[in-house]
Amino acid sequence: MGAIDELVTELARLPTIGRKSAMRLTYHLLKQPTEQSRRLAAALTTLVETVRPCARCFNLTESELCAICSDPRRDAAIICVVEEASDIPAIERAAEFRGTYHVLGGRLAPIDGVGPEELTVGALVARVAAGGVGEVIVATNPKLEGEATALYLQEQLAGHPVRVTRLARGLPMGGDLEYADGGTIAQALSARRVMG
Amino acid sequence: MSLLATDAIVLHAFDYRETSRILRLATREAGVQSVIARGARRAKGGPGAGLDLFTSGRAQWMVRPGRDLHTLITFDATHARSALAADLGRFHGAAALAELLLRFTPEDAADTVFAALERSLDALVIADRASVEAEAIAACWALIGELGFAPALEHCAACQAELSPDDDLIFHHRAGGALCARCARATPGGRILPAAARAVLIAWRDGERPVLPDATHAKAHRRLLREFLQEHLEDGRPLRAFRAWDAR
Repeated sequence: MGAIDELVTELARLPTIGRKSAMRLTYHLLKQPTEQSRRLAAALTTLVETVRPCARCFNLTESELCAICSDPRRDAAIICVVEEASDIPAIERAAEFRGTYHVLGGRLAPIDGVGPEELTVGALVARVAAGGVGEVIVATNPKLEGEATALYLQEQLAGHPVRVTRLARGLPMGGDLEYADGGTIAQALSARRVMG
Repeated sequence: MSLLATDAIVLHAFDYRETSRILRLATREAGVQSVIARGARRAKGGPGAGLDLFTSGRAQWMVRPGRDLHTLITFDATHARSALAADLGRFHGAAALAELLLRFTPEDAADTVFAALERSLDALVIADRASVEAEAIAACWALIGELGFAPALEHCAACQAELSPDDDLIFHHRAGGALCARCARATPGGRILPAAARAVLIAWRDGERPVLPDATHAKAHRRLLREFLQEHLEDGRPLRAFRAWDAR
C-alpha cells in the first residue's frame, strides 16, 4: 500500500470521516507547507506518547494526575461519575460543579459485551472505601443502559457511608412541552418539585 | 425507494458520528431491521427524540432496495420501558431477549414473534422482583417456540417415543431436546435434565409461570438456555448478553 492510500485508510477510521473526506484531507495535507504537516505529525506522536488515564479518576492527562484531581481548589469529597472523559467538558462548561470526577469508560451494555469488569467500577469503589468522600453524583447518560449502570453503582456503593445521587432529568431549557417525548415528560413529572 | 411504516421495538442502539444513532429494530411487518436515525443524539428534534432500548413505537423509514441500513424518518414512541432499568435482573433479562431476537430472527419473521417480544417485555416490566428471573427465562423459551425451534420435551427428539414425565432424562442440544434412554445411549454429549426441571420447561412453554425454588435452579435453567441457543447459532459467535446474565 502506498503512502497516500495508507493515510487515507487511517483517516477513514476516524469517526465522522468517510473515505472521500479522508482523501480530501490527504490531498490537503500534501498541498500545504511541509512544516505544517510535520507539526501535525509531531502533535499526533506527542498525543499518543504522553496522554494517559489519570491514576485517580481515569480522565485523560499528560501527568500522573489530571488537572482537576491535582487542583487543590476542587472538592475531593464530591465525585461526579461520567461514562466517558469527553463528558467532563460538558459538565465543566456549566461552571457549577467544583468537585472531582470519575470516568467509568463506558456503561453496562450486555449485548455489546460490556460488563462491570470492562468499566472502572472497582477503582471507584476503592476511592470511596479509602475515605474522605461524602457524595457520589452518578451522571451516566439518561438512557436505559445509563440508568442500569447507575443502579449497579448504587448497589456497589451501598455498604459505604456515602450519599449516592443521580443527576435530575426532565424538560430541556428552551424546549416546548408539545414536542417533548413521553419518556422525558414522565421523568419530569416524577421528579417535579414544590415551587418557592 | 418506498416508505415503510410499522410498529417497532428498539433492540440495540449505538451512537454514530456526531449526532446520529444506528438502531436495530424488531418490527411487526419486516423482521429485524437496521436504520440510521440522523440527529437522534441531539437534545431537541431529530427523528427519534426519546429513542431508547426496548421502547415501542411507530417507525417510518425509506426502503432502499439492496441496502441493509435504511434511513429512519420518524419514530413516534408509544411505550417507553424505562422500568427495565429499575433492577438489574430485568435489565439483563431484557437484554437477553433482545440478543435472542437479533441473532435468530429471519427477515420474514411472523408478526407473532413481534407480539411475543412485546408481551415478554411488558411482563418483565411488571413482574414482581422474586419472579423476574423465571419470567425472563420463560420469555426466552416462548420466543424460541415462536421462532420455530422449541426443544422436544414430551417426546424423544430422536425417535419421537413418548417420554415419561417422572424420568430424569438426557437433554441433547444438537439433537433438539430430551432423549429417551435408548437414544441417549447412542447420542453422547448430553446434559442430565431432572424430571422437575423438564416439568418447569413444559409449564413455561404452555404459558404458566412456576416459580423457581432458588438461585441455583435459575442458574441451571439459564445455562441450559444459553447452551441450547449457542448450539443453534450458525456463526458460533458468543451470546454476550446471555453470558453477562449468567455472570450476575
